[in-house]
Amino acid sequence: MEKTESSKTAGKPIQCRAAVARKAGEPLVIEQVIVAPPNAHEVRIRIICTSLCYSDITFWKMNVPPAIFPRILGHEAIGVVESVGEEVDEVTEGDTVIPTFLSDCGECTDCRSKKSNLCSKFPFKLSPWNHRDETSRFTDLKGETLYHFLYISSFSEYTVVDIANLTKIDASIPPNKACLLSCGVSTGVGAAWRTANVEEGSSVAIFGLGAIGLAAAEGARLCGAKRIIGVDVNPEKFETAKKFGVTDFVNSRSCGNKTVSQIINEMTDGGADYCFECVGLASLVHEAYACCRKGWGKTVVLGVDKPGAQLSFSSLEVLHSGKSLMGSLFGGLKPKSDIPILVKRYMDKELNLEEFITHEVRFEDINKAFDLLTQGKSLRCVIWMDK
Amino acid sequence: MADNQSSTTAGKPIRCRAAVARGPGEPLVIEEVIVAPPNPHEVRIRIICTSLCYSDITFWKMKDPPGCFPTIFGHEAIGIVESVGEEVDELNEGDTVIPQFLSDCGDCVDCRSKKSNLCSKFPFQVSPWTHRDETSRFTDLNGETLYHFLYVSSFSEYTVVDIVHVTKIDPSIPPNRACLLSCGVSTGVGAAWKTAKVKAGSTVVVFGLGAIGLAVVEGARLCGAKRIIGVDVNPNKFEIGKKLGVTDFVNSGSCGNQTLSQVINEMTDGGADYCFECVGLLSLVNEAFACCRKGWGKTVVVGLHKLGSKLSFDSFEVLHSGKSIRGSFYGGLKPKSDIPILAKRYMDKELNLDEFVTHEVSFEDINNAFDLLTGGKCVRCVIWMNK
Repeated sequence: MEKTESSKTAGKPIQCRAAVARKAGEPLVIEQVIVAPPNAHEVRIRIICTSLCYSDITFWKMNVPPAIFPRILGHEAIGVVESVGEEVDEVTEGDTVIPTFLSDCGECTDCRSKKSNLCSKFPFKLSPWNHRDETSRFTDLKGETLYHFLYISSFSEYTVVDIANLTKIDASIPPNKACLLSCGVSTGVGAAWRTANVEEGSSVAIFGLGAIGLAAAEGARLCGAKRIIGVDVNPEKFETAKKFGVTDFVNSRSCGNKTVSQIINEMTDGGADYCFECVGLASLVHEAYACCRKGWGKTVVLGVDKPGAQLSFSSLEVLHSGKSLMGSLFGGLKPKSDIPILVKRYMDKELNLEEFITHEVRFEDINKAFDLLTQGKSLRCVIWMDK
Repeated sequence: MADNQSSTTAGKPIRCRAAVARGPGEPLVIEEVIVAPPNPHEVRIRIICTSLCYSDITFWKMKDPPGCFPTIFGHEAIGIVESVGEEVDELNEGDTVIPQFLSDCGDCVDCRSKKSNLCSKFPFQVSPWTHRDETSRFTDLNGETLYHFLYVSSFSEYTVVDIVHVTKIDPSIPPNRACLLSCGVSTGVGAAWKTAKVKAGSTVVVFGLGAIGLAVVEGARLCGAKRIIGVDVNPNKFEIGKKLGVTDFVNSGSCGNQTLSQVINEMTDGGADYCFECVGLLSLVNEAFACCRKGWGKTVVVGLHKLGSKLSFDSFEVLHSGKSIRGSFYGGLKPKSDIPILAKRYMDKELNLDEFVTHEVSFEDINNAFDLLTGGKCVRCVIWMNK
């Protein structure tokens, strides 16, 4: 079914392969599914390739709500428009598009404000449905509903995405690089660029050198940070991290009697200008806050922690330190305007995307991608749909 | 001893009256004390008037360290330089000066940076001594050491203050207005002006309409805020709040089934651009965070909380909301440059200080000031030294 011409399939259900997560933590099953045509304001996309992000793993392993099964996971991808629903003028068949879990309606107060990327018309929620009518476009061959994931569900040859969650891009960027901009790299680069607004010549500390942390380093490098300290438990990460601009490495398991923040405060003579927490651990957020510089330091939370996790700070420290604390969702980026900017920066050879891709597999080997990431052996593993 | 000419007293101890706190929560005793001449980098000041701030009360009541006794409290004041120690070029006898608990050395990285007011050379600590050599300039008539308070100790006809804690001002500003700039009003106005950088046309919520909160209101008004919501348990605060710029009042005791933040989110259709906590209650900081607007809202912590207390935030909410949290110490102001600016704004009839002074007493009635403030019956009570 991979190469149907849209004139034949538009308006009809498509039967194709999808990697279905049927139970928490169990290998995905490649099976035939039925993908309904797009409703009004929706677009059906043929996925070219998709990459695995740790958030997919988090919700794959989780056996309590908001996790839900059977589900088509995947949210970092690139595709080609197969057909559009009514009311869609922004894209047409054949356009190259990147889906994003974060909406960009362009119309609400937040989308129209420079200061926010949190669309109010289609607020982000951990929903198993599409955005507008809260139904699913997927069924298996028995007619059972398959749940969406983060409004995208890219572990499928075809998917249906709301136009608010789609960004049209220049088709000339290699798809295995472009798909990274759908989530991880945009999140990290944006956190440095848009959320923290890293100043040239500044010092930055990044906790966690997975894809998000390395993307934050890349973003800080592009902003002209002078010193980028990478913190991780795995010293092997340093070599790769250097390629993204990390200048110093701290192994958080080798601090001796000192805490990581004490070491960083000493290294920076009082704290870094910006600290990014890219793991999702409250204790690391506290360390980050403790070693960002008093007076003006910014601590940015990027990592996704367990539901219910609490961040806790001495109230006197908050009052007296002059430090700011904030989170960053999708790096503070507005998908439809900022992803094309990042695409261009890649094409202009300023933004490094190559080094993120450590593995590439075919769709039928998608479970290998899960193994590699859970074992900490990959940064980004790209999954190609085409045989 | 009140009208010594400096030529007769310079270099010698001065015997004068001070209001000494001899035990936690005990009425102050007006007694004769000896005030040593200033050491190098210090200045001896004849206090004209001083006002009572809630922080004086907090430490006056404190039975455990850092509370200590006997202490000369008071830290919000205005005076005239009686004599200067060696190495002091900035001031001369006869200059009108405002002392302040926050240092401004003008020399360290923080003082030279636009982004910080937290002097690193003389960092703020709750200390019972002078800043440089950690000794006291006060003894009672039995020769017993009397402790300093916040480097100022203004409940005395004469005090000795380090040059980094003194700001020279124009003598034409009435002293019972100028003394307010020594702590409370500067803190509040600065929190809006410097820390939050309130933008014209924005919406602001101020939790707690004591002197600090009212000063935040005044600061927000000067910044052009369109809507200033004042929150307090005491509806009597609304009248004075209105005079300083409060446009809406929320009685936190009358929210019915709703939380304070729910009420405010409804009033503002999604949250305020800036929320200031000016009481010192952990739960209020969380309410403030909950009703500042997603995307760009700033929560500013101004109130002093119980020592050792912790502020706690939901990690997911921090990550997803786009809100930021920051404390404001001395309103983010650099004393030596910013206090004169505020003094001028008062003289130009832009900054309203008159409304803050609700009571005035003479020095021997200083305990009345304590009763009025602990009873919630005054905003600022000015204590005049001269008979």
